[in-house]
Amino acid sequence: MANVLDLRRRIRSVKNTRQITKAMKMVAAAKLRRSQERAFEARPYARMIASVLASLVRRIDIYDPDTGEAKHPLLEARLEKRVTVVMVTGDKGFAGAFNANVLKATHRFIDERTDVDVDLEIVGRKGIGVLRRSYAPASLAADGRFTQGPQPRNRGARVEITGEHAGMLDNLTFEKAACLADILVERYSSQETDAVYLVFNEFQSVISQRIVVERILPIVEVGKPDIAGAVELEREQREEIARAAQSAGVSLKAEDTRQADEEASKFGTAQVDYIYEQQPSELMGALLPRYIATQLFHAMLESVAAEHAARMTAMDAATNNASDMIDAYTLTMNRLRQAAITKEIIEIVSGAAAI
Amino acid sequence: MAENNSIRVRLVTPEKIFIDGTADSVSLPSASGYLEVLYAHAPLLAELGPGEVTMHGGDVGDRQLFVAQGFVEVLPDRVTILAESALPPGEIDVAEARHKLERGKKMWNDAGDEARRYDEANRVIREAEERIAAAERAGKSG
Repeated sequence: MANVLDLRRRIRSVKNTRQITKAMKMVAAAKLRRSQERAFEARPYARMIASVLASLVRRIDIYDPDTGEAKHPLLEARLEKRVTVVMVTGDKGFAGAFNANVLKATHRFIDERTDVDVDLEIVGRKGIGVLRRSYAPASLAADGRFTQGPQPRNRGARVEITGEHAGMLDNLTFEKAACLADILVERYSSQETDAVYLVFNEFQSVISQRIVVERILPIVEVGKPDIAGAVELEREQREEIARAAQSAGVSLKAEDTRQADEEASKFGTAQVDYIYEQQPSELMGALLPRYIATQLFHAMLESVAAEHAARMTAMDAATNNASDMIDAYTLTMNRLRQAAITKEIIEIVSGAAAI
Repeated sequence: MAENNSIRVRLVTPEKIFIDGTADSVSLPSASGYLEVLYAHAPLLAELGPGEVTMHGGDVGDRQLFVAQGFVEVLPDRVTILAESALPPGEIDVAEARHKLERGKKMWNDAGDEARRYDEANRVIREAEERIAAAERAGKSG
C-alpha cells in the first residue's frame, strides 16, 4: 500500500506531464491554424491549373482520331501491372493514430493487389521507419536509375521501396513537391510504372477529414479526383477532434472559399477564341506535369494540417487523462491521510482510556 | 468594369495570391519573348518563360517581379499570371543561380543523344541566366 509521500510524488510527476501535453496541444493548435491557412491560400493556384487544363482538354482532341491513342503519355491508361504508391505520413509521432491510419491504408492497398508489383515512395520519417522493416529498397541499375523504360526491372520482391523523402514536410515548398512529381511523371511516361496512387490524410476542415487513396496518374478526368478508396472518420473521433479544437480555440468551420473558388475556376475558360502562343498540345504538355505537382503539393499541405489536428486531439486526450489521474490520486491520498489521522486519534484515545 | 482603361492583374503562385490589383500596363515574359499587355488586349493563353513581370500604374503601382515557369491568361480587361515562383529581382540569390547554371551546363554535357534531356538542360540554363541578369539589372538600378 502506497503511503502519502509516494502519492504526493506521483501527483507531482503527472502534473508535470500534464503541463507538457497541454503545451504540445497549444503548439499543435497554433501550427494547425497556420497550416490550414496555407492550404487555403494554395487553393486558387490549384483551381486555376485544373480549370485551364480542363478547358484545353475540351478544345483539342486528346485522342488521335485515326488510332484512338492518347496524344499525351500522361493521359494514356494502361493495364496496371506495376504501380507506384506515394504515401504521405508525418515526420514526428505523438499524433495519435495519424501515421498508423495511413500505414494501414497502404498495407490494405498492397494486400488487395496480390498480382501487381508495387513501388513505394514514402514521404515522412514515420512511414519510412515502419515500412523499412517490411520491405527492401529497390536495387539501382548501373546508371543510377531504377529501370530503363518498359522492361520490368530485376525485383527482389513484389513490393520495394524506390524513394524515401524524410524532412520534406517541414518547410514544405512547391519546389520540393514538383521535384517528386517530376520523378513520377518521368517514370510514368517511360512506362516504368502503369499507375501512380497517392495515400494521404485529406483535410477539408477540422471536422471533415479522411484517409484517401487517390489515383493521380494516368489523368482520367481533369479537376475531378479519382478516388480509389477512402476511410472517413468515425463520429466519435470527429467529436473528439471538435472538442479539442474548441478548447484550443481553433474554429471548426472551413473558411468560405466558394467565391474565391468560383473566381479561380474561370481561369482560361472564357468563351472566346484564345490566341495560343504555343500549340495547344504543347501548352498542354507543359501543363500536365504541373498539374500533377500541384496535386502532390496540395495533398502534402493537407496532410500537414491533418497531422497537426491529430496531434492536437491526441494531446488534448492526454491532458484530460492526466487530469483524471490527478483527481484519482488526490482522492486516494486524502483518504490515506485521513485514515492515518483517525488511527492516531484512536491510539491516543484508547491509550488515555487504559490509564 | 474597367475605368480609365486599367486592367485587373492577378499573380498567383502555388503558395498564395501574390498580387491582386489593377494596372495600366503589364509586360510579361512568355516562353517565346516579352509581351506588353494594355487594356483590350486580345484573349491569349501562353506559357510563361523565366523573366520579369513589370506593372505600371493602377493601384499595384510600379512593380517588378521575377517569375519562372508558369502560364498566363490575357483577357481584354484582366491578366492572370500563374507562376511557380515570384520574387522581387533584388532578392534573387545570385550565388544559387550561378550554381544552377553550372548544373544546367553539366546536364547539357551529360545529355547524350536524348533530345528531351537537352531541352531540360536548356531550360535550366536559360532560367539561371535570366535570374542572374535580372539580379544584375536590379543591382544597377537600386
